Amino acid sequence: MLTELETTLLGIMMMVIMLGMGASMTPRDFRIAFRKPKGILVGLLSQFAVMPFLGFLLAVGLGLPPALVVGLLLIACMPGGTTSNIFAYFSKGVLALSIMMTVVSTLVAVAMVPLLLSFYGGLAGVTGDFAIPPGNVAQILVVLLIPTILGMGLRKLNPNIGATIELIGSFMGVVVILFLIASWVPRNYQLLLDTGFPIYFATIGIGLIGMLFGYWVARGLGQDTNRSRTISLETGIQNGPLAVLVITLTFTGAMQQEVLLIPVLYSLFIVLSSTAITLWYRRNATREALARDAAKLGVETR
Amino acid sequence: MTHDFPRPWQAAYGSEIAPDLAPSAHHSIAHLVSASTHAFGKRRAFTCVVPNGMNGSLSYAQVGAMSDAFASFLRHHCKLAPGARVAVQLPNGLAYPVAVFGAFKAGCVLVNTNPLYTPDEMIHQFRDSGAEVLVISDMFADKLAEVIPQTQIRHVVLAGVPEFFPRVPEAVVRGVQKVWNRNLPPVPALNVPVLRIRAALKLGRGLPAVTDWDALRPDDLALLQYTGGTTGVAKGAMLTHGNILANIDQVKAMGARYMTGEDVILTALPLYHIFAFTANLMVFFELGARNILVPSPRPVQNIQRALENYPVTWITGVNTLFNGLMNEEWFAAFPPKHLKAAIAGGTALHEAVAARWHSITGTRIAEGYGLTETAPLVSFNPLDQPVRVGSIGIPAPGTDVVLVNDQAEPVAQGEAGELIVRGPQVMRGYWNRPDETEKTLQNGWVFTGDVAVMDEDGYLKIVDRKKDMVLVSGFNVYPNEVEDCLSKMDSVLEAAVIGVPDKGTGEAVRAYVVQNPDVAAQITKEDVVAHCRKHLAAYKVPRSVIIRDELPKSPIGKILRKDLKAEVRAEFAKGA
Repeated sequence: MLTELETTLLGIMMMVIMLGMGASMTPRDFRIAFRKPKGILVGLLSQFAVMPFLGFLLAVGLGLPPALVVGLLLIACMPGGTTSNIFAYFSKGVLALSIMMTVVSTLVAVAMVPLLLSFYGGLAGVTGDFAIPPGNVAQILVVLLIPTILGMGLRKLNPNIGATIELIGSFMGVVVILFLIASWVPRNYQLLLDTGFPIYFATIGIGLIGMLFGYWVARGLGQDTNRSRTISLETGIQNGPLAVLVITLTFTGAMQQEVLLIPVLYSLFIVLSSTAITLWYRRNATREALARDAAKLGVETR
Repeated sequence: MTHDFPRPWQAAYGSEIAPDLAPSAHHSIAHLVSASTHAFGKRRAFTCVVPNGMNGSLSYAQVGAMSDAFASFLRHHCKLAPGARVAVQLPNGLAYPVAVFGAFKAGCVLVNTNPLYTPDEMIHQFRDSGAEVLVISDMFADKLAEVIPQTQIRHVVLAGVPEFFPRVPEAVVRGVQKVWNRNLPPVPALNVPVLRIRAALKLGRGLPAVTDWDALRPDDLALLQYTGGTTGVAKGAMLTHGNILANIDQVKAMGARYMTGEDVILTALPLYHIFAFTANLMVFFELGARNILVPSPRPVQNIQRALENYPVTWITGVNTLFNGLMNEEWFAAFPPKHLKAAIAGGTALHEAVAARWHSITGTRIAEGYGLTETAPLVSFNPLDQPVRVGSIGIPAPGTDVVLVNDQAEPVAQGEAGELIVRGPQVMRGYWNRPDETEKTLQNGWVFTGDVAVMDEDGYLKIVDRKKDMVLVSGFNVYPNEVEDCLSKMDSVLEAAVIGVPDKGTGEAVRAYVVQNPDVAAQITKEDVVAHCRKHLAAYKVPRSVIIRDELPKSPIGKILRKDLKAEVRAEFAKGA
């Protein structure tokens, strides 16, 4: 299991990430966004309706053991990860929507994650030692809300410090994934070798299938292609390190390492699959922009 | 024209505005700068705000010390003689006042240059002005390789957007520019020395102080302000220290008691343009107020943090900027709370925009009128008088305005004529262009090329540019009037109107319109024509309507009818 020091470090890093996430906006940005909340609501729907259901289907369909079911469900129920903002930017998506969805889903997560987790956990038959007490999750999320709100206030009061912290937060988002890999992989070498195809499929699939559904849910609800691509990335990219933190604070010993398998693998693979999807989305966005320009020229030559 | 000209507008000055312009308290811009930096010491003079809200500030005392150092650098390190030209090609930022005030203190002549100029335009302007030092934004350093060898420039000074920010924000903004936006090109190898402005100031601090600016007089040349003018070739309007100083007082008369040293003015328009140079930089620096500098107002979103984080009391803008702001959710939902008024210039302010501004912010947009050749203010709407819709107001104190016909004879009261101006703000002429000067400047009167009418109280209304007028079967159609009508349609974001050749009527009116993205209803050509039929005489109704995604605009956001006309010329040349 992770040492106490490592767990503390992970906790501190999460605090910094959340502080940075909060500092990406001001309280007023929040109020402005909610004057036209449709995009955010569509995002929330795909985040908290599509993803957990997908996680449940995969867990049951692949017949995973309880320890892995817990890990997969937890990942599926997590709010959006802060790295999604970087991918939204590089895919020429709607950065403001991505930031807003990440923050809003994190706020909503305080209530939604414990609820969803006990609902799907019960449905999947996760019981006893493997069940994550809903109170635990809520507590951790509430604690993490403090830096989030602090960050928002900071961005308003001192934009120089706020924007610097935003940057440090995004940087930390990458560092934490490296940290997880470095601290988990060497200890679980054997476990990785023994890990079968279904588990890799679940780990990689949850992100990719989430992005696919996220896109079509958004399109179906009248979002344009660009916003739909943003919502798609936001849906597929979950806050993996947050899931890891919840697990390390809930489980101990060998059990902890086992439950951690999917969240750690997810955190690693989501970076790779998001990069691939981002390149593809970026090409589509560029093509659409060129088509628009061409249409404009058509008007001119008429 | 030796007879005395009536000034029917003097009654409208009321008790607030003295009818005659008193001589300036300063004898040069350098003198004004020095007086302000000593009087206001620790007060914040400039705050530059980048789109993410990061910012840096300089106090009056800092601006004073830094511009002194820059003056020493120019005179003793670059060995410039008084009167030498210094080109400054910077977006709004903290380096701009340091470089510009430094040049004035060195007794040099400022050549304001648009940072977005192409190498060809830069070469023309630098050669024409004979600039010896160039202060340029590091974002455009890649153009230097092509430009410098073809000019007399001997020293290049680079300044960044986050120049003079605290160290960490400066590093963050620069890092974002480099890695994220990729707009910091490497500096090419040049055969002239290239320094960053911080290094130039460090050198300057070690050199003797320059004090001979004290000998500058109002008649001395202060800046070459390049303009296309009415004939198209870019030429330098020679503005003296006295021109600028007089115009500062004229702008202050316009703002009356609403302009004080406690004010916070938003400068989103570029300072290299004469409008913001005089109205924002010079006027508010003299008052001891705080200038919030926005490096680029496009997209309009870039202004959001500046408006949210500072208690802005004044905004200067052009029609398109005000329109753009009001179409932003963050602005319309939370308009600035401390705003006193806004100043519009540069291009005709549409009635619909002015009315909407009033309903959103509860303040007025005072429309002024001016041109590069008059440093720039000619006329304005006094804030204490009732609003006169569509009027550019009354001439500023000390200014004579006459409307004349093609023979340069005054037209009868109420009739349209070309607006000509005389006053202390009128330029000395165009740099090295006696022919152009002769065409524009006669016996101290500037011929503006704008057609106006004056009512009995002396209020002026621009009917249009002389050359933009559309002649439909012998009837004059003024594009402004048709554009104003178009912009009242909800579905229209912006509109431009030009004349196109027509077999039947000689010329025909053509309208270009942009869909308002906030209105679901799509514009149709039929709706546009129907709307115009309802409000305009038949010959003014557009014969053709073209729906566009955007309209060509100048750096300060003026819609460029000349670009549309050029497209039309190309179209007709092809025989379409």
